[in-house]
Amino acid sequence: MTQEQTPETRFAQQGDSRGSARVSRETISAIAVAILCMILLISARFVSASLGSWAQVETVLVLSSFLVVLSFGQGLVILSGGLDLSLPATITLGGILATSIVGSGNPEAWWLLPAILMVCAATGIVSAVGIVWLNVPPFIMTMAMSIIITSGLLGYTMGTPRGAAPEAAVALMKERLLGMPAPVIFLIVFVILGWLFQSRSIFGRYLYAVGTNVEASRIAGVPVNLARILPYAVSAACGGFVGIMLVGYSNGATLRMGDSYLLPSIAAVVIGGSSILGGRGTFLGTVGGAILLTTLGTIISALGLEFGLRTIIEGSIVLVALLLLREELFQRLRSMLR
Amino acid sequence: MTTVPQTHAAPQRERSQAMSMVERLTRGPSLIICIYLLLYGLYALQQPKALSASAIASLLNNSVPLAIAAAGQTLVVLSRGFDLSLAGVISICNVVLAVYPIEGPGGALLSFLICLAIGGLVGAVNGWLVAYLKLQSIAATLAVMIICQGIALVILDAPGGQVSEWISYEMTDRLWHIIPVSGLVIAALAVVWAITLRTNFGASLYAIGADEHAAALSGINTRRVRLITFVGAGMIYGVAGFMLSAQTATGNPTAGTPLLLLSFAAVALGGTSLSGGRGGVFASIVGAAVLMLLQKVLFSSGVSSFYTGLFQGVILILAVVVSGLLTRIGEGK
Amino acid sequence: MKMKNLFAALAGVAMATGLIAGTAQAADSKKFKIYLSLSYSGNAWQSEAANIVKALAKTPPYDQTVELKEVITGTDPQAQISAYESMIDDGAAGIISFPISSNALNRTIKRGCDEGVLFFMYDATVTEKCAYNVSYLSSGFGENSAQALVNALGGKGKIFLSRGVPGNSVDQRHTDGAMSVFKKYPGIQVVSEYYSYWDDRTTQQETAKALTAHPDVNGIWAQAGEYGAIQALLDRGGDLVAMTGENSNGFRLALADPAMQKKGLKGVSAGSPPAQSGYAFKLMMEILTKKRTMKPMNIEYPLPWVPADKVKVCQGDKFENGCNVFSEKRVPSSFVTEVLNPDLLPELNIDSALNGTPVAGATIQPLPADVKQAANEPGINCNNCQPAADQYKLTKVEATVKP
Repeated sequence: MTQEQTPETRFAQQGDSRGSARVSRETISAIAVAILCMILLISARFVSASLGSWAQVETVLVLSSFLVVLSFGQGLVILSGGLDLSLPATITLGGILATSIVGSGNPEAWWLLPAILMVCAATGIVSAVGIVWLNVPPFIMTMAMSIIITSGLLGYTMGTPRGAAPEAAVALMKERLLGMPAPVIFLIVFVILGWLFQSRSIFGRYLYAVGTNVEASRIAGVPVNLARILPYAVSAACGGFVGIMLVGYSNGATLRMGDSYLLPSIAAVVIGGSSILGGRGTFLGTVGGAILLTTLGTIISALGLEFGLRTIIEGSIVLVALLLLREELFQRLRSMLR
Repeated sequence: MTTVPQTHAAPQRERSQAMSMVERLTRGPSLIICIYLLLYGLYALQQPKALSASAIASLLNNSVPLAIAAAGQTLVVLSRGFDLSLAGVISICNVVLAVYPIEGPGGALLSFLICLAIGGLVGAVNGWLVAYLKLQSIAATLAVMIICQGIALVILDAPGGQVSEWISYEMTDRLWHIIPVSGLVIAALAVVWAITLRTNFGASLYAIGADEHAAALSGINTRRVRLITFVGAGMIYGVAGFMLSAQTATGNPTAGTPLLLLSFAAVALGGTSLSGGRGGVFASIVGAAVLMLLQKVLFSSGVSSFYTGLFQGVILILAVVVSGLLTRIGEGK
Repeated sequence: MKMKNLFAALAGVAMATGLIAGTAQAADSKKFKIYLSLSYSGNAWQSEAANIVKALAKTPPYDQTVELKEVITGTDPQAQISAYESMIDDGAAGIISFPISSNALNRTIKRGCDEGVLFFMYDATVTEKCAYNVSYLSSGFGENSAQALVNALGGKGKIFLSRGVPGNSVDQRHTDGAMSVFKKYPGIQVVSEYYSYWDDRTTQQETAKALTAHPDVNGIWAQAGEYGAIQALLDRGGDLVAMTGENSNGFRLALADPAMQKKGLKGVSAGSPPAQSGYAFKLMMEILTKKRTMKPMNIEYPLPWVPADKVKVCQGDKFENGCNVFSEKRVPSSFVTEVLNPDLLPELNIDSALNGTPVAGATIQPLPADVKQAANEPGINCNNCQPAADQYKLTKVEATVKP
């Protein structure tokens, strides 16, 4: 999708201050999203007295853990200049394999779970191969992959998924550690690791490079093919992992369990301030976006409004977040601070 | 590469006759038309009724809403953008036609204009967000799509209502028992596109999609062109909503959703580059027709329906890969 | 060169399809060609409904006389229209289907009827008059379960409504029926209403969200997916509440579980039975084999109704001696138990529902001669019609508390 984009426009927009712009942008988006979340939580008290409590924060964090993991994968793909529409299918793939292979028969065999993630990652690699070497647009390749995986699973299960959740998955989602739900601890660890990977590792820097300009990165010695393939593998593995988490959370898999996560995974990345065209964005912003979306969902569902109105409010808030996190506004803010 | 396709189709004289044949085959919609004819041949082999006037008309009626929607999407994609609001506009038009049916041919005309207005309005909002507020098109239209779906649900919260009989019968009928009305709608759209290609706007659209920066430097008002593109696309979605309502004869607040991803598939099948600047509306229309025909072919060939998705996915990838390769061969690269 | 590849691929498809078509045509041409058209496969309810039709079509004598083809079209009405058209063109004798829309398919169905195709819809319905609708929709799930919940709560308390799919007429009918009861009781307060898409996971997540806002809820009125609501309640710890839901095996077992009852779970299991598809298929075959004459009409399938004290675990593979649920070792919690019916579908057992296999030695038994005509439900099973004055009258339960 990006290789035909012209480098001039990108560089013209960003000027020479790209490094510093990224850092200040990172902090500003994270702060802005955090403030928005806080305002939402506090104003939620007007909706119901029990909102805004620690219990609500816990629930929101547990529910947002799915979206955070997903949008990490989606974020990497978008950063490298692609898009992954196959997430719902990989979620389902992970969930179905976890229940049918591990859950039925040997529920203690936690060591099979990484193998399932490898299978999911393999589907991501297939997509990436089509995108990188066959020049299929990511949009089409991942959509087709999604149709293929879904149809394969339909045949594999003959329409009826069997089995129960693996014990490891149930433990991850249901135990409590240090007075907090285990998924919250997991979320914190995941966010730190994800941030280190995306913003502090050499590989993360490769992704920013290929997302900005493939040809220029190739000349600069970036392993371009690896940097374009790996995000899809990671994204698919994230999808599979969310599938396993969902299975642990609600003890069972269905063939449509991933359907409702596609648009939120993209929305979280975009609200977090990433460019949908690649090359720009931070994981912390994405985490903020995911938590913001989940908070919003919790409050809106407590409002007891008609579904149509709820949908309108949800869309409007996404729009407002986009407008607030706009590039121009950032530039103006930066020039004010200087 | 930056202007209207016609202008850079000036082949070097010394190229052999065969080469220009290849070029003509791969340029524009001819490749996808070949694929379509091949598929239709296959279909007719399996299902002898496929060549009857009524079967052709019903296939056309099935394909037309997607074809029109894909035509609108093509405009936005050519300008290097994505438009997700397609699903919202079609849903709103559908529920409006079902909740407020206006009888008779005059009523149909009025309904048609209402659809155009709805699409134009939503398109204007998209265009303003993308062109003037500089939001990324996929993000802005995602938000607009969610809002539109909400509006559709407010107008009609469960499937129901009745589209006016004149629309649902006349728009899906055949003139003199031969020419399907829905085919005429597509033909009209194609004529409008052919005219657009010869205007300044047409040229600017391709220019912006190929290289916005260069287009701006050469004096094109990129904001205005983008705005017009979104408004035009929105109005075309309105037409798609109108034709979909004619076909289903009833309202459904989520009517547009299934067409969203398919519209992108149709655009890509037609060989339009998803990164802008290359392709055209005709090819997307045929691409949409291929997608709908594929369902029929898979059905009549008796593939277990558990695995039809597998075939659809593989064929989609194959078609895009092959058309990409052929385009490159055609360009002599 | 590349074009050649494409041709080769297409030729391959052509050959494969030719082969399949060839074998199909070689089969006995006297067989009834029946199409089974579903919206999507993938949840327990849909696949059980499809599986029992497949099992019945393999049970003698239908194994010799029926050629059944299954077609899954997804949730897009247009795709189903296209599929119906292909089936009609293919010379179908009958189409048994879960319709995606109550109106959008009408014109195509009419065309099929004119060519002599029988249309039987199960569970969901269409408003086209020439189709047969076999459904429990008019049997009052919404109002009866709502009254049972009100009774359990003694006429007052805060409740959640866990609904189905937004913009779906079945969900709307259930909710309208339920609200007709809840509105009578000023003490009943609906504090949260959310859409759970008839899915366990979504129900669990949405219920968890609602519980953070209203931890003091007293009852939940749920459509399918109810087992997810129980899990959300268990997740937050503390007590369970009174609730009504549909027919999942997990929910029924929970209702009868003394430990759960001690925590405060009480209620009733009712709702949509997958067995409707089997009933519809047998009716259609009796008409096709000229054993029954019946004009197109709306046929009511009785509402399953199992309060906690009526839950009884089956020892075998069938509903026998009044049992109505299976042990959790035998089937998953999402299994919908009301797929069996000892009166209407004695040919089947749970393996038929899970795998679509016929029961060894079973033969098709005739249906009772009488069918029950369903009441009018405007926009759901008829157009331009009047609902009965007592549309929401209670049939399964009486009001034990005064408003």
